[in-house]
Amino acid sequence: MTRRFAVAVALLMLGVGGASAADIRIGYLSLRDDPRDRADVAYTNIQIAPPDDPLTGAQLGLLDAKVVADAVGDSFALDPQQAVDAADAVAKAKAMAAGGERFVVLDLPDELVDQLATAVKDEKLTLINATAHADFLRDRCDANLLHTAASDRMEADALVQFLRLHNWTKVLVLEGPLPRDKVIAAAFKAAADRMKLSITDTRTVTLSRTPDAQENNDTLLVTGGVDYDVVFVADSEGEYGRYLPYATQLPRPVIGTAGLVPQEWHWSWDRDGATQVTSRFLKLTDHRREMTAADWSTWIAVRAVFNAYARAPGAPDPDKVDAYLRSDKLRLDGSKGFALNFRPWDGQLRQPVLLATENAVIAVPPLPGFEHATNDLDTLGEDEPEHKCL
Amino acid sequence: MNGSQRHVALAVFPLLLLPTSLLAMAWPAEATGTGLVFVSNEKSNEVVVYDQSFNRVKAISTSRRPRDMHFNAAHTLLYVACSDDDAIDVIDVGKLAVVKSIQTGPSPEMFVPTSDGTAFYVSDEENSRVEKIDIASEADVQNVATGPEPEGVILSPDGKTLYATSESADLVHVIDTASGKVIKNVPVGTRPRRFVMTPDGKELWVSCELSSEVDVIERATNTVTDQLTFVPPGFREEQVTPVGMTITRDGSKVLLTLGRANHIAIVDAKSKQVLAYVLVGSRAWGVDLSHDEKTAVVTNGLSDDITIVDMASMKPVKSVPAGRTPHSVVIDD
Repeated sequence: MTRRFAVAVALLMLGVGGASAADIRIGYLSLRDDPRDRADVAYTNIQIAPPDDPLTGAQLGLLDAKVVADAVGDSFALDPQQAVDAADAVAKAKAMAAGGERFVVLDLPDELVDQLATAVKDEKLTLINATAHADFLRDRCDANLLHTAASDRMEADALVQFLRLHNWTKVLVLEGPLPRDKVIAAAFKAAADRMKLSITDTRTVTLSRTPDAQENNDTLLVTGGVDYDVVFVADSEGEYGRYLPYATQLPRPVIGTAGLVPQEWHWSWDRDGATQVTSRFLKLTDHRREMTAADWSTWIAVRAVFNAYARAPGAPDPDKVDAYLRSDKLRLDGSKGFALNFRPWDGQLRQPVLLATENAVIAVPPLPGFEHATNDLDTLGEDEPEHKCL
Repeated sequence: MNGSQRHVALAVFPLLLLPTSLLAMAWPAEATGTGLVFVSNEKSNEVVVYDQSFNRVKAISTSRRPRDMHFNAAHTLLYVACSDDDAIDVIDVGKLAVVKSIQTGPSPEMFVPTSDGTAFYVSDEENSRVEKIDIASEADVQNVATGPEPEGVILSPDGKTLYATSESADLVHVIDTASGKVIKNVPVGTRPRRFVMTPDGKELWVSCELSSEVDVIERATNTVTDQLTFVPPGFREEQVTPVGMTITRDGSKVLLTLGRANHIAIVDAKSKQVLAYVLVGSRAWGVDLSHDEKTAVVTNGLSDDITIVDMASMKPVKSVPAGRTPHSVVIDD
């Protein structure tokens, strides 16, 4: 019944007036003019993507850490840097390492995360990818890379569990023209295939309303002439998808990047202490905006690091902290009802995925009935036996 | 899983076969109070009142999101923390109605009255502090800064020390009530929630929801001396989210709700061994014992009901509907 008693002893260093104080800086690297920030994509200045920077999530993580830091006598700080391109990102990451920073939270697009991880593999750095979802990053097996962003596959698996539970087995897949749209659609189709859902058709959609493109633009035509229980849309920009619900030929729900959306976080989540997290976030932003999924991912990345500093035996030695961060000793509270830690095989943070409409969380996979031999969270995303390094 | 576990198979339990009058007689003859059972319901903004046979007597409308509850010493008043209206409602136990509402800081959840009954310490999870509110003047007389999301609060028997958990910082703050200062932070498991103290005052038990453990703090040294895990058969450790606790007056048994594991654990407080796991409803949360300690009542937050547990057989007797999202239960006897 009594376990891990040695850990309790190690934890005592946290006591007031205890262990040696340290100044710990966590790096934070983003990209100026990140192509994913498409807040102005919609015409007439209607914002369809969050207009703000997920740096705020990391800042909330830092504020939350303050009391622990005060208790230890440590000081935690964030070192936010914005790169202009890949070469600059590499230079900045190297400068962070040279300045004694061990952990760097990344808010960068998929390709940049990939390039950076390779370029700094010889530095003493642990990179925590907070906003890039592509599965290939998890299959690179970069030893210096962890992920708090849910992978495309995790989000696809979450939706597929929901469809299975509801017995909505026939899916019409619509994909936008961008490479990213194809990636999202492919991840969904693979997940659907594993759970024996049937994809009744896959169609490409476009924003162009020229007559020769109408079969790919007009929502009635795009969703007509085929049977389905649900429409899955992969439209990373969001401009097509936002006009799709209620505009389909058959009266069927829309899921994917519009309608019911799988994501790490939603402001309307109200269990597991989520309300307090979102309300601290609102306060931090002077009520300018709600906490987004990307904010959650940067928040939990910073939380993970400070939690490891607070608990790792041998902290603040960065190697010891890093080892703890990657171990199953980490039991992180992300206000999603499960203790979270990183999968040893691909560095991915295990986590529930919220399926949310505009203003409500409908379900939080892993759902009842989808059980796993060791950890139900591993029903979402690539599991250890099937994992292969590319 | 929830569906099948939610309502216990009624016929199995012989107690239920008794006529309700007999069931009522099984309750304490030495009871001093009304014997009424009060259950706060977060989403339906009511405290549902049951008689000793668990017939619904009344639903008392309260301020929004009623959660933790405590009686005054004479059991004439019941205080209810109402998080969404930033208030502690005062229920007149005789009238079964809210007679007053005392303003607190934002979002009060758990609180503890002082032993002299003149004040409460209230955890304010929005502002990361514990505030002391003088009941007569309704004034905020002391503020103690805590880690994010303070939750459980408990006072030492002499009233000199207050303990508060910070759910988000994974700490138990040891607070000197005279100075209002944190004198020590005790690191505990993930998302620490609630406390019970052994009657001898030596041990403080803390439920840690997300690390699936109860940490035992030795009060003399303010250090964690035991980490206890409770995993009912068929469950995995990470499915167990311990929250509510209560302890028998002789300090021999602790009752612990296991949240998503849909059970409570009845624990021998000395040996720290589990005596029984009792199947209750979905997300078991709050728990209280009747005065004669023959019966325990558990609130089930996700099945909107309460489960009555017979302590002699350590078996569930029946489940009874409550309001929406039942949070806490207290028994006036």
